Amino acid sequence: MKTRSGIRVRTAVLSYLVVLISLIFFVGPMLWIAYTSFRVESSIFTESVLSPANEYTLQNYQTILSVTDFPLYFLNSLKIGLTVTALSLFVSIIGAYGLSRFDVKGKNALIIGIFSTQMFPQVLLMIPIYLVIVALGMLNRVIGVVLGQMILILPFQIWMLKGYFDGLPPEIDDAAQIDGTNIAQRLLLVILPVASPGVAVAAFYSFVVSWGDYLIVSVVSQGNATATVTLAIQRLTASLLVRWGQVAAITVLAIVPTILLFSFVQGRLVEGLTAGAIKEG
Amino acid sequence: MIQRRAGIYLILPALVIMAVFTVYPLLDGLRIAFTNYNLLGNVVQFIGLDNFRQMLADPVFWLALRHSIVLTVVVVFLQFVFGLILATVMQQKLPGMGAFKSIIMASWVIPVAATATIFKFIAQPDVGVINIFLRAIGQGQLVTYWLGNLQFAFPFIMMMHLWRNVPFYGVAFLAAMQAIPRAYYEAAEIDGAGAWDRFRYVTLPGIRNMIVVMVTIHVLWTFNNFDFVYLSTGGGPVNSTEVLPTYVYRLSWTQYNIGFASSIGTTMFLLLMVYFIVYMRIYERQMTS
Repeated sequence: MKTRSGIRVRTAVLSYLVVLISLIFFVGPMLWIAYTSFRVESSIFTESVLSPANEYTLQNYQTILSVTDFPLYFLNSLKIGLTVTALSLFVSIIGAYGLSRFDVKGKNALIIGIFSTQMFPQVLLMIPIYLVIVALGMLNRVIGVVLGQMILILPFQIWMLKGYFDGLPPEIDDAAQIDGTNIAQRLLLVILPVASPGVAVAAFYSFVVSWGDYLIVSVVSQGNATATVTLAIQRLTASLLVRWGQVAAITVLAIVPTILLFSFVQGRLVEGLTAGAIKEG
Repeated sequence: MIQRRAGIYLILPALVIMAVFTVYPLLDGLRIAFTNYNLLGNVVQFIGLDNFRQMLADPVFWLALRHSIVLTVVVVFLQFVFGLILATVMQQKLPGMGAFKSIIMASWVIPVAATATIFKFIAQPDVGVINIFLRAIGQGQLVTYWLGNLQFAFPFIMMMHLWRNVPFYGVAFLAAMQAIPRAYYEAAEIDGAGAWDRFRYVTLPGIRNMIVVMVTIHVLWTFNNFDFVYLSTGGGPVNSTEVLPTYVYRLSWTQYNIGFASSIGTTMFLLLMVYFIVYMRIYERQMTS
């Protein structure tokens, strides 16, 4: 008994040590940039971690929100993110439902095919995608960015949702079908209410991927009309005279929406993301 | 029969979008690799394998290829190991563990552009917290801009990958571990298996599918990843962090040498295809044995 409780104490101490190191490493940098965003430029340069109380300020945020175009970029990101989320959800939900519940010819090949597009180097696709976007007259337009970003999201989202639908008992469809409902009714009234945790995670995934995308936006956006937060960060930090307080404020504003959404879904995030992987195991 | 057709219609929107924005661009990219295409408006001609010959003679290509492979292998391996450790720790029933689990994945959800900025700031020679710390403990001679240092920039970028992805591995492995029936552990214990044996013979086989999925996805994502390097060092200093995606991007968008860039992109695609096929073979063989 003695050795057993000894092992238990040792395990607890080791675990908390890993927890502590993880918090410092994974969470610390985010807190540090948030802290920096409230400091005046001169105290960032003092090399001391704490400053006198009067050297904390909201000035960095005021400057970013009033002097720069950042609010415009923020709204663009929001507009694009929400459109991508709505569109990709619609396409993925019906696609995953079709793959999960219907006897489609060549289904396995389709699933592997969709998944293997993850293998395509995005940098190789960029020029042809740019040419397609130009040909469709979608350059510098929200719809161009939205359709471009769909390819970053759909393969994984369909795989994720299909895994989730596969985990729901087929009896609920069958029962509804006997009741004489059509596909749309079954999907909307029977499947989606049960699958809402998975759908919430899928929605979160599209928004976060869209919000964080740099590659597609950098190709489709050449003016301010569709420039997003990620472009803003890159432009501002690339400029020679870096004002770290303002850069930190921009970074915080770029992070906050993703963290807010994350706090809503975090409990079921992994269950939803990896539904396909766990079910097979 | 009606069912079957309805299934196709449901998948159709996804297939159309993928066809127009993924499959067609891939085929077009493969075609461009055999031309002298650039955006400067010359007559586009097929030039056979010239781009590939140029590629094989290009030292930057070989450097970027080596970096890409090293980055992918090292990063995915370390993510796997640290992810396992993190999952094992999170599995302990200890006070506060729930709160820890709920915040630890935050680094995975923020934009990579923000991650790059955070670490650029931390790496700064004057205001960066690493160097402030080094000076504070009297190691001022080590102070450097970590992302501008020939020796350290590349390991620093690897660390940024770990920062983003290890918690995802950890939480995913944990989810798989919790799906292992308790009875397996109890049976192992009755057979006299120690903690290590239980981990080796119950936990690891139990989460095998998750490991396969996480490793496969991350090999593809890491090898193809563009924004970590581009947004933090742009491939510098002196190509010391150049990877294939950033090299292809630079050739395409700043030098407009698109035919040549596409031949390197095509090579990336071929390498990943070989990986995928070999991997599927091994996986299938293991499944049947």
